[in-house]
Amino acid sequence: MGGTKNIIKKELTRVFTDKKMVISLFILPGVLIMVMYSIMGGLISNLEKDIEAHIPTVYIQNAPEGLDSIIDAVDYNGYITYLNTSDSTNHINDGILKGEIDLLVVFDEGFIETIQNYEEIGDPIPEVRTFYNPSEDYSNAAKGNFTASVLYSYQQSLLAARLGNIEQLQVFHIDRDPEAGVIVDEGKANGKFLAMLLPFLINIMLFQGAMGLGMDSITGEKERGTLSSMLLSPIKRSEIVFGKLISLGILTSLSAVIYTVSVVIGIQRLGGGDLGAMASIKFTPIQIIQLFALLIVLVYLYVSLVALVAVYARTQKEAGSYVTPLYILVMLGSILTMFSSSGEKGIEYYAIPVYNGAIAMQDLLVGELTMAKFGVTVGSLALLAFLITTLVTRAFNSERVMFNA
Amino acid sequence: MIQINELTKVYKLTKKQMMEHKTKKNMMKAVDKLSLTAKPGEIYGLLGPNGAGKTTALRCIATLLKPTGGDITVKGYDTVKDSEKVRKTIGFLTNEIKLDPQFSPKYMFGFFGRLHGLNEKAIEERREKLFNYFDIKDFEDKKIEELSSGMKQKASIAVSLVHNPDVIIFDEPTNGLDIITARNVTDYLKLLRDEGRTVIISTHIMTEAEKLCDRIGIIINGVLAMEGTLKEILEQTQTKDLEDAFFELFKIHNKEEE
Repeated sequence: MGGTKNIIKKELTRVFTDKKMVISLFILPGVLIMVMYSIMGGLISNLEKDIEAHIPTVYIQNAPEGLDSIIDAVDYNGYITYLNTSDSTNHINDGILKGEIDLLVVFDEGFIETIQNYEEIGDPIPEVRTFYNPSEDYSNAAKGNFTASVLYSYQQSLLAARLGNIEQLQVFHIDRDPEAGVIVDEGKANGKFLAMLLPFLINIMLFQGAMGLGMDSITGEKERGTLSSMLLSPIKRSEIVFGKLISLGILTSLSAVIYTVSVVIGIQRLGGGDLGAMASIKFTPIQIIQLFALLIVLVYLYVSLVALVAVYARTQKEAGSYVTPLYILVMLGSILTMFSSSGEKGIEYYAIPVYNGAIAMQDLLVGELTMAKFGVTVGSLALLAFLITTLVTRAFNSERVMFNA
Repeated sequence: MIQINELTKVYKLTKKQMMEHKTKKNMMKAVDKLSLTAKPGEIYGLLGPNGAGKTTALRCIATLLKPTGGDITVKGYDTVKDSEKVRKTIGFLTNEIKLDPQFSPKYMFGFFGRLHGLNEKAIEERREKLFNYFDIKDFEDKKIEELSSGMKQKASIAVSLVHNPDVIIFDEPTNGLDIITARNVTDYLKLLRDEGRTVIISTHIMTEAEKLCDRIGIIINGVLAMEGTLKEILEQTQTKDLEDAFFELFKIHNKEEE
């Protein structure tokens, strides 16, 4: 296998001695991904701050006595206009629809009297209605804030007035310190979030890496006429194929690592550091080996798939259009895992290539990957990749494919 | 020694190729029952117009194409059954086969030397000899994409000879070379012949065939129209030079085709 080794060395030298290639394959995509997610994160947090800083315009109809003192007491910040029963609210509804007014709160007529006259079950209970526009961020936030701070406090104060002792109503407390009661496997909780995202990302990144590199290394060489010079060497065609596939595999893995790290760093900024706890995920040695094996077979499969397309294509442009449907399939296979429930899946699912890689990785991250499922996944992926490799070798032996003869 | 025995090569044409060749047949016979022998210590020239089947024949010898009919042996090895051994023996040069533009001639020389199983010392010795002969030393570390077409051709020739092959197959070796480099190459081919190696070249340049080749095979429409030394060919066609002889044969064989 001296030929294979020699070819791997040459392929790696070709990429790493070419500054343009290193920049366009590894550095630029990594930086772009990071910048993209950081900008997204920045925009989202700006939006949140903006909503927080906004002072809502609120109209209150039939405001009962004592409401204004509650508003002062809870320090509610808003431009409040009080309306009488006779005032029309039509123009306010219009304003809410257009996003000019954030909230309209309507108390029933005789609100306080109705409450004070309550004596036994069946007596009328008055209502407060809020009108808002859920598609407007400001309006949405105004409704939530007003309900939670003003209306809830007002309700509590009226209850206290009616019963004298509000603790009579409380009967018992539920979790005064909710944080103290959380019993969770940190690893699994973090894993759950990552399990949704990572298989998708890794799958896409791996395929993307294989795609760019494979088309250049095989179709490109064919187009440039440099592949034939290798075909003239006294080595087996399979040695050339393995040399190409292994070097592609190495480069693909490297680019996938760079892309994934950039995404994680970018998302970390996006989620305000929620992913910082990622480091707390702990893998057992067996899990690490499983993850490694899984990634290796996935890389092997994608590289051989791209190679098969690339070897049949006559030009890189042609290769690009052949490989796109495959890319979409890989994307589909991995997107499915993002939205599927975490319920147990039958072992047969682990024999569906691409999809199985994603769900196995998902299971692995939450610590639920059984040996049987792992075996079926790796086995079926490796088998398929091997079959494709045989086809690639056959294509390398075909003069029609190689020389268009 | 190269022995070609009744070599026939038929290409299947795609619809697009059929349009390009303006034919309704989906098969094209590029070479038709071609038989010839190139011996050690001689330069054999395949002479013919474009599309006559010269390149196809040479590619069959170089194991890149498999014969549809007939067989070829190089130093006794069959080009289909023992293709790896044949590739070990031959040095093949053609226009369509190029060196990776991102590497230097020096790197490429080493790369192909290693693929041929040479050790570093042997590679260096060969490089010293060939790079000096073809004046490659000055640009041996430059990227091939930065070289002129003449420099590229020189580098390709040197690389194709890295393993000191016994059989040399050059498809239009002086194509694209200036007059000095072309002479350099033909001189080297003579040197190889004098060392007792088998050299087979293809050309459509009459003067090159006249001056360089010990024996000439004229190939028209895939058929070997005539074979022999320059003298024999001129005698048989009763002409004064190779160009006249070629047109005599072309008249006869092109008619037959129609």
